[in-house]
Amino acid sequence: MTQRVPVRTRKLRIIAQDPAVRVAGQILTTTVEVPAEDLQPGPWGCRVQVIDYDSSTGVLLKPLEDAPTEDGGFSDPFESASDHTLLTNPQFHAQNVYAIVMLTLARFEHALGRRIAWGFGGHQIKVAPHAFADANAFYSRRDEGLFFGYFPGSQGTVFACLSHDVVVHETTHALLDGLRERYTDPSSPDQAGFHEGFADVVALLSVFAIPEVVGLLVDRAAGVIDGRASSRRVKAKTVTPEALRQSTLLALAKEMGQEMAEVRGAALRQSATLTPSTKYKDEEEFQEAHRRGELLVAPMMNAFIEVWSGRLEALIQKATGDLDRDRVVEEGAAAADYLLTMAIRALDYSMPVHMDYRDYLSAILTADREIRPDDSKYRFRDHLRASFKAYGFEASAVEGADEPGIWLPPKEDLAVWPKGKFTNAGIHFEGLTRDPEEVFRFIWQNRRALGVVEGAYTRVLSVRPCVRVGSDGFLLRETVAEYIQIIELEARELPRMKIEIPEGMPKDTMVTLYGGAALVFDEFGRVKFSINNRLSHHVRQTNRLKYLWQYGFFDRGATQLRRFSQLHRMRAGAMDGAVREEWH
Amino acid sequence: MSKPKSLTLRTYQVGFGDCFLLKFKYATEDRHVLVDFGSTGQPKDAGDQLMLRVAKNIAETCGGKLNAVVATHRHKDHISGFATNSAGTASGDIIAKLKPDVVVQPWTEDPDAKPDATRATHISKRNRSLTAALSDMHAFSQAVLDEVDRRGVAFGPHLRGQLGFLGEDNLANKSAVENLMSMGKKNVYVNFGTDSGLEDVLPGVKTTVLGPPTLEQTDTIRKQRATDQNEFWHLQAAAGQSFTASGKSPFAPRYHYADRPPHTRWFIPRMDALRGDQLLQLVRALDKQMNNTSVILLFEAGDKKLLFPGDAQIENWSYALEQAEKKPTLKQKLESVNLYKVGHHGSLNATPKSLWKLFEHKGSAHEHDRLQTVVSTMAGKHGSVGSGTEVPRSKLVDELKKQSDFFTTQSLKKKDLFHDVEIDF
Repeated sequence: MTQRVPVRTRKLRIIAQDPAVRVAGQILTTTVEVPAEDLQPGPWGCRVQVIDYDSSTGVLLKPLEDAPTEDGGFSDPFESASDHTLLTNPQFHAQNVYAIVMLTLARFEHALGRRIAWGFGGHQIKVAPHAFADANAFYSRRDEGLFFGYFPGSQGTVFACLSHDVVVHETTHALLDGLRERYTDPSSPDQAGFHEGFADVVALLSVFAIPEVVGLLVDRAAGVIDGRASSRRVKAKTVTPEALRQSTLLALAKEMGQEMAEVRGAALRQSATLTPSTKYKDEEEFQEAHRRGELLVAPMMNAFIEVWSGRLEALIQKATGDLDRDRVVEEGAAAADYLLTMAIRALDYSMPVHMDYRDYLSAILTADREIRPDDSKYRFRDHLRASFKAYGFEASAVEGADEPGIWLPPKEDLAVWPKGKFTNAGIHFEGLTRDPEEVFRFIWQNRRALGVVEGAYTRVLSVRPCVRVGSDGFLLRETVAEYIQIIELEARELPRMKIEIPEGMPKDTMVTLYGGAALVFDEFGRVKFSINNRLSHHVRQTNRLKYLWQYGFFDRGATQLRRFSQLHRMRAGAMDGAVREEWH
Repeated sequence: MSKPKSLTLRTYQVGFGDCFLLKFKYATEDRHVLVDFGSTGQPKDAGDQLMLRVAKNIAETCGGKLNAVVATHRHKDHISGFATNSAGTASGDIIAKLKPDVVVQPWTEDPDAKPDATRATHISKRNRSLTAALSDMHAFSQAVLDEVDRRGVAFGPHLRGQLGFLGEDNLANKSAVENLMSMGKKNVYVNFGTDSGLEDVLPGVKTTVLGPPTLEQTDTIRKQRATDQNEFWHLQAAAGQSFTASGKSPFAPRYHYADRPPHTRWFIPRMDALRGDQLLQLVRALDKQMNNTSVILLFEAGDKKLLFPGDAQIENWSYALEQAEKKPTLKQKLESVNLYKVGHHGSLNATPKSLWKLFEHKGSAHEHDRLQTVVSTMAGKHGSVGSGTEVPRSKLVDELKKQSDFFTTQSLKKKDLFHDVEIDF
């Protein structure tokens, strides 16, 4: 008898995009590898607990039970299930969400080189695949869960939990909330749009990283019907950036279940059709969170298309003017996967409060350069700089770096030497890599060098050791710590910090200001980066207050708008946030 | 008969609702306009058959003849009094016998605007899809009430009360709607800028329709996703009808779990509460959309101006306010309003601050020709004090008291059926 060798991953079948995406009338499915674990009925694993309760009907559905193979190995009960079973068996839906949530979590952990906590206290996120009869899906920190609705469509019931992009989108909200809990705070149009835009970017790139989906789109563009490819070659003219944009971004937007548009919005379509312009960012329409999110999705997806097309150029055979279909698919999926990793990794290089798109661009450029100084293979950094610029966003990092847009290491302020100089005196290196108390001691001791405002409340939010493989093949050990600063002032006190009082704001209005930084320590415990939005940054603080005042965030009830459930409704256009005219 | 000399504005006690009778007094006769007649909750001490008594008083006061009826929008608290019964003895039957010459309603009530309109229509397809959305909202409200009925305990008493109230108010009022369609000699469906049809029956009185705008008008001031919204309500109504109203799960009974294992017992009540919140968000959103179909009417007689905005909120008002910025004559009309019927029973979001700022007659008690404000409302029905959403909203009421001669139906005594305000032109 052969002995079973323990495995790290298992394979599970999922719906590749959503049930509307079909080949020869059959739902396009794919098999994904997720971390192998001993599951309880649910599926209920180490990080994800599916509880299939439907609050509209009050029905609890039976959990999916893992059935090991005879020799104790993992099996997939839906490996060869019919489309009918996939649509009507709620236990497959449970498997589908479990796998996609785990896959998304694994992508984040892989990109950041460490375990990622959810944004609430617990270890396991609850997932309700059939939460209510409603065209909605959302993450709720308060309820520690992901909720997916269902509703009747023209071709039968539509299940949000069967849409790959929707599940990844909601999971990303939960993961981002765990990494940057302050990003749901009202701050600026960019920060409001970031949660949505980033979740869309991760969702769309996750779908493009599935070769079956890219393959389908490439075949469709080549005129292949029902998956019966007559030729394994595609014409050169079909892989120009414009052709790819049409045949993949726009075509996928059309292919996706249209009825889910109420849940997912139109970010993908917009990314293909929102012609680059630097004007959008100042237009009223793009101050709203979802439209603002599109301004993040568009440059990211455009960079992806440019890189993909660029990679294919060298593969075109001059003589025949065509190239191998499988390589087109492979390069597309690889580019999507690479950009997805970059997008996630950038979070470690992002400030904990008041992030805007220009900051995010600097973060993504810096994070990638740390890992891969040489950008010549994909040239993602060049393309990202160009595509963000086309929408009016230039990296916020100051001039002076050898590569544009990269964060610079902190400058020691020699004017107040020795107090302006970094010191590790009395700091224990070991503690600095995991203990918030030790990190706080470091911040306190180096408050002048870090530019910390001395009169404010300061707290370390997290200390995260991370290990990555550098381009030299060696392990790169870093520690990322976040701290925030909070100060409460009356509006009349603002000018003391050179911050302007928003027009019409009563002088006795209580105003809370936030600042903070992500500190990246290198493997010797030295500050490599201090990516900050200082409390004392009066220009940013002035702009932020002006925005919040103008959009009614100082009114009671305004916090309601921050809830994802409501945000998603606003995307469907069913609600809006006009509170300025009300009697709060 | 050329011009009215004065007006008596009679505000009826209908609890949470609106009912105003305008008596325009001419040299030789009086002319009567009824603005709304509905209720969704009556004061405990109101006595029996309040609506019937109101209807009889209207009939008596107008001497058996109404010159016009204005039904600002189709919410129950504005039109339930128009409902009829088979015996012909309901309050709506009494009103129908008063044979109004004109019945004024928003364009969304135009039979030509109905999605199933069969004849050629001047109403665009987009506008018709909005009226389709309105009927989807009724269907959704019904489904919400059914769900509350079936699962109410899970939602808790406060939420259940709010859902019940809003769901109820947004149900289709079939008999009232039909009565409004048939009782008048002439039906006029209005939008911003159209004729009200009232000038024929009210000589010497000028009327201006300030709302609701059509979708095309709204589009000129901001990009709305009206089509998405219509689709959204269509889906919600369908979801309500297919699943929640019946409590029928989309999955076969063999997948249902009879038990509630311990590990689900923290999560399930939270999900129930979440569902209740979601439903409330939805009914609030549809309630607002219905409010925004309100007719906004401005009456001018002599040097006086009276503003009746129904329950219009900022989305309805925006177009008129924007136009007022462009047209000084319109702005001047709003600035010189003498009597304001407070929008939506004094809720926080139906007296836009930018409108309030325009009123020039507001001011301290000793001001000559001070602004008069009238609100028909009842506390404890809508919203909550804790969330700052109570109706009437205290902050607004304080401002109305401070800056105008304010009357609220809440100050009516048990025996009082109405309150009169006299205005000389």
